Amino acid sequence: MANITCKNIVKSYGAHPVIEGLNLEISDREFVVFLGPSGCGKSTMLRMIAGLEEVSAGHIAIGGTDVTDLPPGERGVAMVFQSYALYPHMTVADNITFGLRRQGNSRAEIAPRLKQVADLLGLTPFLERRPKNLSGGQQQRVAMARAMIKTPKVFLFDEPLSNLDAKLREKLRTEIRKIHMQLKTTTIFVTHDQLEAMTIADRIVLMRDGQIEQMGTPDEIFERPRSRFVADFIGTPAMNFVRAEIRAGDELCASGGGLTLTLSPHSFPDLVAGQKVELGLRPARMELCGQNSHNAIHGTVVLVENMGAEGQVITNVAGAEVSFVTKDFRSLSPGDPVTFSIAPDHIHVFDPETGRSLRKD
Amino acid sequence: MDKLISSVAVRALLAFLLLVALGPILWTVLSAFKDLRDIVTPVPKILFTPTLDNFATILRNPTIRDGLLNSAVVVSAAVLVGAVLGIPAAHTLARYARKWGDDVQFFVLSLRFMPPVAIALPFIVLYLDLGIYDTLFGLVLVYLITTVSTIIWLAVPAFERVPREIEEAAAMEGCGPAEIFWRFSLPVAAPSLFGALVFTFVLVWNELLLALTLAAQKATLPVVAASITSLGKEVPWGVINAATVVLVLPPLVFIGLLMGLLNSMVRSGPK
Repeated sequence: MANITCKNIVKSYGAHPVIEGLNLEISDREFVVFLGPSGCGKSTMLRMIAGLEEVSAGHIAIGGTDVTDLPPGERGVAMVFQSYALYPHMTVADNITFGLRRQGNSRAEIAPRLKQVADLLGLTPFLERRPKNLSGGQQQRVAMARAMIKTPKVFLFDEPLSNLDAKLREKLRTEIRKIHMQLKTTTIFVTHDQLEAMTIADRIVLMRDGQIEQMGTPDEIFERPRSRFVADFIGTPAMNFVRAEIRAGDELCASGGGLTLTLSPHSFPDLVAGQKVELGLRPARMELCGQNSHNAIHGTVVLVENMGAEGQVITNVAGAEVSFVTKDFRSLSPGDPVTFSIAPDHIHVFDPETGRSLRKD
Repeated sequence: MDKLISSVAVRALLAFLLLVALGPILWTVLSAFKDLRDIVTPVPKILFTPTLDNFATILRNPTIRDGLLNSAVVVSAAVLVGAVLGIPAAHTLARYARKWGDDVQFFVLSLRFMPPVAIALPFIVLYLDLGIYDTLFGLVLVYLITTVSTIIWLAVPAFERVPREIEEAAAMEGCGPAEIFWRFSLPVAAPSLFGALVFTFVLVWNELLLALTLAAQKATLPVVAASITSLGKEVPWGVINAATVVLVLPPLVFIGLLMGLLNSMVRSGPK
């Protein structure tokens, strides 16, 4: 059992609080991603769980044991750093086995475990090399092997893929996920890349200014963002936001910024006529449609971005830019009039003042 | 073709510069093996019958032998104690006291601003009173000012260049601060620290003024070498050159030894 409990965590540097009263429960075997823009406190949070950073107030427990005042080496956690942090004066094998050798295990005892992790991560041919003679991806694999060989209760990853190129990042991401499915070790993974978070996490903890903005599965975060901040942060291309006003009438309807859209009364029972709102429209949830379709939006094509299988079409709708994604983008060119639509279920509505979602289901 | 010419030109220039830089050293070494009449001849001799007489003169001379021994003892002790005190201090400044690090570093450097004469005169009085005038211990003590300050000054940046994550990764494996310093920071910073030690060694090895003023019988090699020039009316050039070679050799040997030591230290963690 290695669940993690963080209770009322406060972290301040001098008089400046970075994290104020954060509560978090991570269950055993869960893969949790701390996501957020830089400076939101996600790395600080991870480093406090690791023991590299002191907790100003509050308690951290791992597997039921209060570790708040324990040094990092006694918490049963292993960490992978963004910069890999390999020991440059040791070979790959020595790097991986250092922790076990330090605990007094003989090389003969360690050998089968070294072979196991080296095979798992494809490092067997490089064991006698120095870290500086490896590529970035290989170095990060060594760092992961070094963390894994100790069979810790918890894995901590601090932006481990940020220094790698896009292709390698994707590959290692898949590997990390596969390894987690095999080992089932409780994992916390910090990233500022929302796509990485969406693809790898069981649960995302989205942070902002030292607070948890929203916690949930990738689906919940994507489909039910609790605030405009979450909606804006998650999803590529980014969500369109349009200021609008609820109209009086039989149908629940909002208009503004040159468009009029029907909303689902089931999702937004509390909206009243005349209320100012901000609509959130995901580009990926919109599609080309006929002139008289339901919830049609009329605009002029400004730019078409080819993404291979699909294209992002940026349009001008009454002076504001609205973008959507379609497979049939090749027939469009700048200046063309275009009509596209969104299903009422996929429209998000936020309070323009607080940024909170007004969705009730 | 142009490429070839420019490449040849660059090489020729490099060779010329190398000759200018190494020429005097080469000449000194050659002269150390020459008889006096081969040295003072108006036409420089490239081909000559080498002799070891100069070295024999030097090494048979008890003053020079003692000078060599005194130098070796004083300088090794000063650098060793300087390193033992200075290197951990530098690591602490670089990692745990960054706030005051700049001030401390500047203070340490400011010790070097003083002209040695300013130290030498009051030290004579102090040393006479303390009864350590003309002792090797006294020389080591005064050289510690130089070695500790220079080593700290040069080692702080060396430790700052050690990535903090490496130390943190070691902490994650359960190492305490002392173990992190000994097994990680020190070996990773070793190449830069090595430069600092060599520089300090050479600085003290060549020191003349303090050695001249604070010791009389316990003269170090630079003092002895300086006195050789006034050995007689006929300047013994061969002996002087041989003395120079002897003076230069220990730092070279020291560098070699230290390099070997560092290489073995850096090789791996626990067995």
